[in-house]
Amino acid sequence: MRRAFVDALYSLAEQDPRVVFLTGDMGFEMFEAFSQKYPGRYVNVGIAEAQMVCAAAGLALEGFRPVIYSIASFATGRPYELIKISLGYPSLPVVIIGAGGGYCYSASGPTHHAADDIALMALIPGMTVVAPGDPGEVTALLPQLLQLDSPSYMRIGKFGEPKYSADEAILLGKARCLAAGEGVAILTTGEMAPIALSALSTLRNEHQKSPALFQFHTVKPIDAERLIALAKSVSQLIVVEESAPSGGLYAAVIAQMAQHGIRTPIVRLGPPDEWVLGNPQRNNLRTRYGFDSHAIVRQVLEAYRNI
Amino acid sequence: MSMACTANPSLPVGKLEELAREIRGECLTLAHQSGEGHLSSSLCQIELLTALYFAFMNLSGTQEQRDRFILSKGHGCLSWYVALAKHGDIPAEWLSSYAREGSPLPNHPCKHSLPVSITSAGSLGQGLGIATGILYGLRLKRELEPRCVVLMGDGECNEGSVWESAMFAAAQKLDNLLAIVDNNGIQAVGKSDEIMGHTDLSEKFRAFGWDAVTIDGNSIPQILETLTRFPFTKGKPSAIIARTRTMVPFMDGKVLWHYRVPSAEELETALQDLQPSLP
Repeated sequence: MRRAFVDALYSLAEQDPRVVFLTGDMGFEMFEAFSQKYPGRYVNVGIAEAQMVCAAAGLALEGFRPVIYSIASFATGRPYELIKISLGYPSLPVVIIGAGGGYCYSASGPTHHAADDIALMALIPGMTVVAPGDPGEVTALLPQLLQLDSPSYMRIGKFGEPKYSADEAILLGKARCLAAGEGVAILTTGEMAPIALSALSTLRNEHQKSPALFQFHTVKPIDAERLIALAKSVSQLIVVEESAPSGGLYAAVIAQMAQHGIRTPIVRLGPPDEWVLGNPQRNNLRTRYGFDSHAIVRQVLEAYRNI
Repeated sequence: MSMACTANPSLPVGKLEELAREIRGECLTLAHQSGEGHLSSSLCQIELLTALYFAFMNLSGTQEQRDRFILSKGHGCLSWYVALAKHGDIPAEWLSSYAREGSPLPNHPCKHSLPVSITSAGSLGQGLGIATGILYGLRLKRELEPRCVVLMGDGECNEGSVWESAMFAAAQKLDNLLAIVDNNGIQAVGKSDEIMGHTDLSEKFRAFGWDAVTIDGNSIPQILETLTRFPFTKGKPSAIIARTRTMVPFMDGKVLWHYRVPSAEELETALQDLQPSLP
């Protein structure tokens, strides 16, 4: 995903002279080509996230389209109030990139865990929040975020994530159907999409079950129309997210369902509201807390048994 | 006097001092009427605002030429509003609505209701960083004329983000940046020296790669003379540490007046005892 981000940024900078990139001293050997081609438009502000946010605000006030970049926990939680006041309150078009969201840096400890990035950003009025699931969604969403006249946050992963394909286009604010199905629907965001795709293949091949799978790459604003239609058409929804239980996709989904009086049973698979200690590998962490591919298979089979 | 003054001709010092006295009187009255305001913070910076708006900043011409001003210590907005009205940037009738529900002049500036304000303020330690972004952007656009003036508080300099921004400004050699610190020595609940220890802000800014001077911030001649030397050193951002007082004898040096607004009697005494700007 980071390679997709760097490539997309490079080509967007070529098309639009307003694009300026600021990093909080992150991205070793990632942005050499960009900084050589556009020297003034690459700025390493140092390990100074507050300054990165405020400088981006100043650039946006002068008509630029700044993209700011750090590790997800340092891009969001660390300068949170400055994002809220200097970017959110005046509604400035700045794209915040959080690299390694969720438990991407699981083995680095709670300082680097960012299960709260989506929730924090979604709390800011007017903020658009996206979590692509593969490099293709990164490539497609970044230019759409740069078209906005308001701030946005994109959580991205690391390097080498698998690409998946689907017939539906990748449109900001729209859920994307990755697999049609019946009876049960799996809802994912971010990097849970490829995990759910792998569960889907097991379900089809070994259990002859075909639940629907929808990727909500845009968590805010949530695609309420699609969600409500989907909730009405199935017997159970299963939300899979690598985020805190508050303020993420699950919270957005249940809020919409309550508001529309939809009583479809809903299950959340994801990490609990808990400090994750012991530096687990990301896969082991997902297994421990029951949101890996096996857990999705188990939950889907149980859902079909209850139909 | 700097080049910009040709676009915004300076009033004689006597006139500026008279203006400062008028602004101070209006601030006291408005604070009394509204029952709101960080009064001492507003009073201390009046000579600085007067010199900036009526002698230093270029506020006419095209956007590409105009200087940018950021009131980073947003709680000191009352005297800024009065200065804006005197300068003709907002209607004078607005002032009586200060801090009332629905007013374009809340007790922290909001750019949605006050478009002349570049930023919304009220949370400290953000204006300097925004100014560095503006100047970096102006340089990218090759608009090298406008200067950016940020008015901050000494209490505000407690915030770590100020020093992140100070490092960036020095690293990027933003010599069109002028930070003015209203150094009244008092913050919300105490004296800066007692709370923060070593508070020689000139030394601090110099240590961060700036040029900095300490002056008497209630003396219009001193302020004007200092501004003529801006930028103090080519290639470095400049800071003016302006030691200030409220110029209302019974309020000076009292932490109480950070929040308190004057009663009718206190207002009368204040207006009678109002001290002139320093020579």
